[in-house]
Amino acid sequence: MATSWAIRKQAEPSADALSLASLSAEARALWRLRYQRFRWALRIVLAESRLRLALIAVLSLVLWGVIFWLCLDGFHFLRAAVAHTPTHDQIVHHVFGMYLLALMLMLTISSGILLYGMLFRGPDIAFLLTLPVSTERVFLHKFQEAVWLSSWAFVLLSSPMFVAYGLAAQSPWYYYAVLVPFLAAFSYIPAAVGAMACLVVVRWFPGARMLFLAGVIVVLLAGGAWVVRGLSSTSPGDLLTPNWFQSILHRLRFSQHRMLPSWWVSMGILEASQPKQPAPWTTRPPWAESLLFLGLTISNALFFRQVAGAAGGRWYRSAYSRLHTQQHVSRPGFLPRLGWVAPIRLLRQLPPQLAAAADRFLLRLPIGSSATRLLVVKDFRLFRRDPVQWSQFLVFFGLVLFYFLHMRPFSYDIHHATWVNMVSFLNLSVVGLLLSTFTTRFVFPTISLEGRRFWLLGLLPLRREQILWSKFIYAFGGSILPCSLLVLLSDWKLGISPLIMGIHQLTAVLLALGLSGISVGLGAKMPNFRETSPARIAAGFGGTLCLVLSALYIVLVVALTALPSHFWLAFQTGQAAWSPGPFGLWEQSIRFWMLLGIGCSVLLGLAAAVIPMRMGFRAFHQMEF
Amino acid sequence: MKRSTPTPMVEFSHVRRCFGQTTAVDDLSLAIQRGEVFAFLGPNGAGKTTTIKMMVGLLHPSQGAIQVGGWDVVRHPRQAAQQIGYVPDEPFLYDKLTGREFLEFVARIRGMSAEETQQRIARQAEVFELTDFLDRLTETYSHGMKQRVVFASVLLHDPPLLVADEPMVGLDPKSVRLVKDLMRAHAAQGKTVFISTHTLALAEEIADRIGIIHRGRLIFVGSLAQMHQEGLMQDKNLEEFFLQLTDGQGRTPKLDASETFSAAGEEAAASSVVPPSADLPTSKEG
Repeated sequence: MATSWAIRKQAEPSADALSLASLSAEARALWRLRYQRFRWALRIVLAESRLRLALIAVLSLVLWGVIFWLCLDGFHFLRAAVAHTPTHDQIVHHVFGMYLLALMLMLTISSGILLYGMLFRGPDIAFLLTLPVSTERVFLHKFQEAVWLSSWAFVLLSSPMFVAYGLAAQSPWYYYAVLVPFLAAFSYIPAAVGAMACLVVVRWFPGARMLFLAGVIVVLLAGGAWVVRGLSSTSPGDLLTPNWFQSILHRLRFSQHRMLPSWWVSMGILEASQPKQPAPWTTRPPWAESLLFLGLTISNALFFRQVAGAAGGRWYRSAYSRLHTQQHVSRPGFLPRLGWVAPIRLLRQLPPQLAAAADRFLLRLPIGSSATRLLVVKDFRLFRRDPVQWSQFLVFFGLVLFYFLHMRPFSYDIHHATWVNMVSFLNLSVVGLLLSTFTTRFVFPTISLEGRRFWLLGLLPLRREQILWSKFIYAFGGSILPCSLLVLLSDWKLGISPLIMGIHQLTAVLLALGLSGISVGLGAKMPNFRETSPARIAAGFGGTLCLVLSALYIVLVVALTALPSHFWLAFQTGQAAWSPGPFGLWEQSIRFWMLLGIGCSVLLGLAAAVIPMRMGFRAFHQMEF
Repeated sequence: MKRSTPTPMVEFSHVRRCFGQTTAVDDLSLAIQRGEVFAFLGPNGAGKTTTIKMMVGLLHPSQGAIQVGGWDVVRHPRQAAQQIGYVPDEPFLYDKLTGREFLEFVARIRGMSAEETQQRIARQAEVFELTDFLDRLTETYSHGMKQRVVFASVLLHDPPLLVADEPMVGLDPKSVRLVKDLMRAHAAQGKTVFISTHTLALAEEIADRIGIIHRGRLIFVGSLAQMHQEGLMQDKNLEEFFLQLTDGQGRTPKLDASETFSAAGEEAAASSVVPPSADLPTSKEG
């Protein structure tokens, strides 16, 4: 270590080390920091997670291609169905306006939430705030990251639609050239609004931030439901008639407000897509109109960025201080000042009582040993006390629930039982895929995290198998209930026959069983004790493999039960004739195929639960901590 | 505005910080002079870390003001931060940077030229023996290695004030020795060292003055010699004295509550002990 002369050297007085960096120099330093971190992360991903990267790239391309194909087909259909050009343009304008307006709202919320995490809870923020960096620069540094993080998916989802429209409308080359600056400038505006909203809430209402967020989400959901209800209240006979179009456009007129950035972008993009002749209402050529809208969008983006930066420079530090000096109120005192209102008092008392009842229920279940049940209760408590877990669970399953509740039972011209059956199995797959993301994200990492504190469990009178069993029971129990209920709701809304409902319920059980086995077994077989973040553990090689295997398993299990059911319904409803075709599809054999499919899926489900668990047991038993 | 007259390196004036209904730091008035090593002691939850976070600009005082090198930490956070090298209780490093890249970033942010940056990094690498791992990603470092890199980063610009919150946690004995020597050397340069610690032996060994905070109130400030001289410690060591002061069941030394403590580090500064419940009069510089 250091010698005395080294310490003397250390202590030599500095010349001008206390002069502050210029504002541009600190901006460059932060950009360089971001570049270096990105370069290292990319290098590591390329070296260690090629499978994951390839999977992401392929899936993104597939998603892009599917959206592009659907949009292209849709725009061609629209052009064929609505020959009258002004009406066609009006419809497209409304579609773009509505889409961009919805995205604007989503970007505002997502960037606000992202910035809250980055500005007030980020691991590096306390470090940055103790450096001699201007507060505005720290704020902008995080703001730029939030813009990128919240808008890349927007670009991925929007670009195929706009490219498809360009092709369908035979747009000139500059249509494609202006797309990027339009989308980039557009994403800045809601991000800046979200940033300022986040700052204002934390600075002046730090104790009510969750209430505020919940209120915004409720308002948006109510607004969305109102729009959906308005659009779907047309009588079936009017579908695709001129009256129907006019009625829909009338209901969407709010998206055409001239002050909305979504309207500017929609107008600018559509102008760029026009042929070179000027529109009747202007003497300017379309490209000039488009550039005017682009200028309007960019100048507003810059204005909002400046305002957000100035607000950050002025209030960010005090907001940070206020948030971190808030008194930590023990749950469930999120409405402490309204505690005297009886319903709120009841609301406050309910969650702990329900939680205690759930704990007691779990402890009395006749499954496993008492130690195993105790471990299950422990995991359940960790789940419900971790807002990251239950909030994601609620949001995603809530969205699926919302979709299922608003699913219309094909009352127009489609009465085919096979179509309904197909949709029901697709819904089942969606629930399964959603479940697989949760088992990968929240169950798979638990073994690795348990390993980090294994000294605690290892010193208790427990067999290691009990730990894995408890994880399996926890994962299965937590999966089967939402999975089964959602599938039941979907079937009920679709008016599915009891036999297919029974098959769906069996498939739901198999999905929960297999996905729990895969996530727990692979989690024990491929743990990562270096990482502390469950998200990073799930994003590693083991997590990616778990996700891929889970997806394959879902496709296989659903296909094994869906295909025979589909053919059985087709023959039952007379949409296909009973005949000995190449696959022998006559009445007796279809029953055999159905039974065989169900039998195979049961066997597959058992294999998916047993094989990874056995591998996991072996690995977990031999593991040294 | 920066004051033209000589000022203490750190000056707390009637600082109070509340967390809702709870007062974490109550009417703290304290001045720490240049060239002084000040050890801040107190039981868990006494208000040490809150005091430090206010000093480095992370938290704002509910009342009162803090000046570092003459700069108000709330009104001039950038200038105040340039005076400070802060070692937090949990060392932070960007895990996807090498130690060298991290040090370069800190140097750039602190306004150093490229040449000066390399010279200073080389010097710190030598002092803290970082050379073997400085070009590795920091995510592969042990806690002790991280702590050494953090120390190197905060000393890059030779700060007039070194603030360290539990600096010895995770360091091996050799590193502990080094850090102690560095702190003393830093103070010998006329710079100030402010450490918060639970290790009473460390305070005894290197501190010029000791401050004890309990339930948000500064209940003692003074040197060990002053404690002995004034009979406060009698035949006790610092540990026994600390426990007696901070233990609610223990006997509190009989003191005159009206006697104020002097916060300055001058030889002439008087030490005093104030019961936690007593209202502190305005502190004065010694």
